Amino acid sequence: MTRWFEDITIDEVFPLGSHDFTEAEIIRFGQLYDPQYFHVDPDAAKHSHFGGLVASGWHTVSVGHRHMVDALFAEEERLRSLGKEPGVSGPSPGVNKMEFKAPVRPGDRVTYTLVVTGKRPSNSIPGWGLLFNTIEAVNQRGEHVYHAELVGFSKLRDYKMPLRLRLLTALTRLPLLGKLLARSG
Amino acid sequence: MNPVTQNRRHYEDLSVGEVVDLGHTAVSKEMIISFAREFDPFPFHLDEDAARASLLGGLASSGWQTAALSLRTLGDSFLNTIASMGGLGFSDLKWKKPVMVGDSIGGTATIASLRRSRHHPERGIVQLDLDIRNQKGEPVMSMRLANLVELRDPGLPMEPAE
Repeated sequence: MTRWFEDITIDEVFPLGSHDFTEAEIIRFGQLYDPQYFHVDPDAAKHSHFGGLVASGWHTVSVGHRHMVDALFAEEERLRSLGKEPGVSGPSPGVNKMEFKAPVRPGDRVTYTLVVTGKRPSNSIPGWGLLFNTIEAVNQRGEHVYHAELVGFSKLRDYKMPLRLRLLTALTRLPLLGKLLARSG
Repeated sequence: MNPVTQNRRHYEDLSVGEVVDLGHTAVSKEMIISFAREFDPFPFHLDEDAARASLLGGLASSGWQTAALSLRTLGDSFLNTIASMGGLGFSDLKWKKPVMVGDSIGGTATIASLRRSRHHPERGIVQLDLDIRNQKGEPVMSMRLANLVELRDPGLPMEPAE
């Protein structure tokens, strides 16, 4: 979350809120990104084993991601209101696993919950850590809609750059030498 | 018989190793900002200055947008030509390089495996390896997708367990 890497507690549960899926938005996402007949055509969808229109799994996941980003901003606000400095969230390097478990139909309400299950400093990017998160999405009947295992970057507060790296960074800021170093790198 | 999919390829018609060409999709600044506003409103997907200061180094698409655009091409060139019964999920999704404004992404999907569902004799599971690259040929995203596909003949004997 938008806390410094050091302040993130393993297994803390973050409720991300709910979303009501309408037929119109299911069809709109389907037409843009996943135009299979059971995502875009309510009549044709009756012939599918779903028996009607269902949301693309990628739609449900994208909405879940939006809820996570909103929760990060809300946490940032909360920390500032307490006079604390929020941390910095980075982009994600990937998703280890995503399981679509139950279809989402028009009128369904999906509730999302995030848990940080692990963390470690990044090996490839100095000053950043990796967070291992799970998101569970559950519908109004308590059925699991999807289970996700995601990875995110979070900035370290207490990171001190090693002298060698600091020198290299300073050298690349010199115009001519920087160009040479970038070329040889 | 499902009238929507009866003339499409079924499970029996697919083979491991088959490669699907996903064409090319140009990614514009407007596309990046519009997707980010709806699904991924981090400043590094919305604002050029914030993006330059971030790990991405410039305005780049949301990884979920890169995935959604790839899915769109997979739908057009493969999923809408077979008796697809929907996705089961994916694994090992890796965003390897940011997709920047003006990039064009494309690539291939390769059938990695085919197997019957244990509980539903009319269903098969096709696994696809997606390899998405930018116009310079650099890998930007990869993943393994699992999708259900209907059998034309559910009475077909199950393959012996491997």
